[in-house]
Amino acid sequence: MISKNQSQSDSLIIKTAEGLYCPKAKAHLDPWRPVDCALITHAHADHARGGSQKYHCAESGAGLLRARLGDVQIIPHAYGEPFRLNNVTISFHPAGHVLGSAQIRIDDGNSVWVLTGDYKRSHDPTCEPFEPIICDVLITEATFALPIYRWPLIDEVMERIFSWWDSNIRSGRTPVLLCYSLGKAQRIMAEIQNRSERSVRVHGAIAALNPYYERENVSLCPWEIVTKSNQKKSSDLIIVPPQVADSAFMKQFQPAELAMASGWMQVRGVRRRASINQGFVISDHADWDGLIQTIQESKARRVLATHGETRVLTQYLNETLGIQAERLETVFGLADGIDQ
Amino acid sequence: MNFIGLFSALDTSHSTHAKRDALVEFIQTADPLESALGVEALTGRIKKNRLRPSFLRKTGMLGFGEQGWLFEECYATVGDLSETLAILFANPEKKPHFCKPVLAHWAAQHAALSTIDAEEIPGRILSHLLQLSKDEAFLFLKLSTGGFRVGVSKGLVHEAIARATHIDRAVIEERMMGVFNAEPDWLEKLKTPATAEELDARPVPFLLAQTLSAEEITKIDPSDVIIEYKWDGIRAQLIKTHQITRLWSRGDQDITEQFPEIIAAAQKLPAQLILDGEILAGSHEAIGSFNDLQTRLNRKRITKKLLQTNPAFFRAYDLIRRDGLDYRDSTLVERKDAIADLQVSQSTFIEPTTISSIQTMREAARAQSAEGVMIKRRFGLYQSGRKANVWWKWKLDPMTADCVLIYAQAGHGRRAALHTDYTLACWNDEGNLVPVAKAYTGLTDQELKQVDKWIRAHTINKFGPVRQVQPLQVFELGFEGIARSTRHKSGIALRFPRILRWRTDVGPMDADQVSHFHALMDQAYDV
Repeated sequence: MISKNQSQSDSLIIKTAEGLYCPKAKAHLDPWRPVDCALITHAHADHARGGSQKYHCAESGAGLLRARLGDVQIIPHAYGEPFRLNNVTISFHPAGHVLGSAQIRIDDGNSVWVLTGDYKRSHDPTCEPFEPIICDVLITEATFALPIYRWPLIDEVMERIFSWWDSNIRSGRTPVLLCYSLGKAQRIMAEIQNRSERSVRVHGAIAALNPYYERENVSLCPWEIVTKSNQKKSSDLIIVPPQVADSAFMKQFQPAELAMASGWMQVRGVRRRASINQGFVISDHADWDGLIQTIQESKARRVLATHGETRVLTQYLNETLGIQAERLETVFGLADGIDQ
Repeated sequence: MNFIGLFSALDTSHSTHAKRDALVEFIQTADPLESALGVEALTGRIKKNRLRPSFLRKTGMLGFGEQGWLFEECYATVGDLSETLAILFANPEKKPHFCKPVLAHWAAQHAALSTIDAEEIPGRILSHLLQLSKDEAFLFLKLSTGGFRVGVSKGLVHEAIARATHIDRAVIEERMMGVFNAEPDWLEKLKTPATAEELDARPVPFLLAQTLSAEEITKIDPSDVIIEYKWDGIRAQLIKTHQITRLWSRGDQDITEQFPEIIAAAQKLPAQLILDGEILAGSHEAIGSFNDLQTRLNRKRITKKLLQTNPAFFRAYDLIRRDGLDYRDSTLVERKDAIADLQVSQSTFIEPTTISSIQTMREAARAQSAEGVMIKRRFGLYQSGRKANVWWKWKLDPMTADCVLIYAQAGHGRRAALHTDYTLACWNDEGNLVPVAKAYTGLTDQELKQVDKWIRAHTINKFGPVRQVQPLQVFELGFEGIARSTRHKSGIALRFPRILRWRTDVGPMDADQVSHFHALMDQAYDV
């Protein structure tokens, strides 16, 4: 267990120019520069970068990681299976963020540290549910660490998506839903499958990732890639990544009606600034309650917050909950704008 | 359809047609009192500050108890007080109703709030919010403070009423001028032509000018126009009937109570008169700045002291009604003739012979405390709205200065979560940067995004929502007027400051000195 006079040398995870680093394991966590040994929480681009020698990740995420990084050396680990790396024991645990996302638990016999990576507490049919882990030090994300971010129930949101979808079909417009191609798109497709016999057409970036989900036995709704030959087909929802919203690709769907699925849609001004008519609040991150619940369940004595509203979260933990908390700014944390 | 249904349709559409159709449906299908109150809100007629916004803030603070700072953080992110409260305190179990009328009920609740002790108001608001869904709570609060804007122009509402009633839009616009009584029979009243007495008391839609640029001036035929100064005040109609005298602003507000001396002076004028003109600071002999005039607005009580320190007067330049006769179908020359004998300050005009005489007058405008010249067709009629080739405004070029960005804050509404409110500074004699203005507009959406990114990466300090940035970026600031100020550190106050361009070609050392502003001030007023 953690000693009272804790110094930086006792830290299982420290900050380096390459990103977070565990000296005792001689391994980096989600490094943003090439290193010898990388432990990866999940395959999103701001967490999994190329050029390193070796990548450890959760087994169910290995396919996506390879899809993103190409032919690199990947060592997959089953959730909860501990393995030794130099002087510490490491294990990956479900984070509930996207398929194969993991929290990384590091135990050196004296103390236990957990890096959550990105995570959420709400149900998601495309990945294993988040597993609470007891630890001494918790490094948590803080993307949505403000009380305004409380996610509505997915049932309600799906009901709204269906009624928006139908009303557009009735009025002869193409419903186009913008959402991230890795994770969010498949989650929505799985939720559609759970509730209906509806089908969708998807952008190539999404289509390229769908097979990895199907290989892990995630049941997606019937989908096709958008092609020239099927563009007149009616009644389908079109799912595309946000980056193509302003591109020529969208012309084929005219007249189209745009909506976006994201936690940021909780704020009306954000949606309106993006010139999007309809916003659906669906996030793959923990909301305010989810963050606080996770921190309390971890029983951590010390919390480090990284990425997002770290200032708010640490102040709240210190002043209101009496939990020792500090900010751990990373390269991504500095640019705390609307990214992933 | 009720007001919530209408708002939801308006808020989830960027298409003017879709918005108009939603308005038509609302007018045709809503409960008549609901549609009356809805139209009142949409045309900006709700009394401002039914509830002061400070009570909304107090409500948030109450809801958060000792974590008041956390509420402030939420507000800074959302950028709208009503929306912040709606997100935080509405009842997530409630679903909005889209049929049952709500506005009369809410108006009663708003009215009840003003009858209870101030300390009890935040608690009462919280208990109201618990009865509402998020969307309902947002509207309830927006309407309570009167700060309701939904991206629907008054023109679009008039268009929708015209379609819903099958009455010509121009007629609707005319009948919607002046005081609107939000009663269930509002549509019937609108369908009935006004009496002579009502017509006497009702303002008419203003004739508006087109903007003219230096290139377009050559298209003007000097012999076809008259020119006068463009006064820097508040455009208004002075209306006198046998019973009442009132002032109606271009922003469609009754501002009679703000200017008692103008009403008193109007006693010398005949009844059944509507003049179009400008409320100006100072007197006929010495016109003051717009700054002096602004002090008169937004005041609940006009004190004797304020009347002495910030006097105002009305300068007429056009005639709409006289002796009960409508002059709008008369030519400008005829209208000018018909007011010449009235005992009221009047705008002198000249009949230019050449384009260069127009230019000469424009150059003299600043020394006359005017903001440019108006060019008006001699034989133009008083039409409603912004019509082509009747009136042109040719403003002075703005004054400019190069300033350094020192603080940035996220915008509100559509621009929340993007740093768009800039504090700009110039160099003082000691070589320090002192803030001179806050600017909110002028950059394109693309530039705003770029600057926002730069701001996030170059923040050196955060004070709540305000970021202090490295003083490296220079912006060219444009402004219409400049006055001395004791409130600002730099000693100057700018009128309508906005960004003209992002000067990526120069560094912070190239920005202007305070002395530059003092020189501009001397040119504007002391010459």
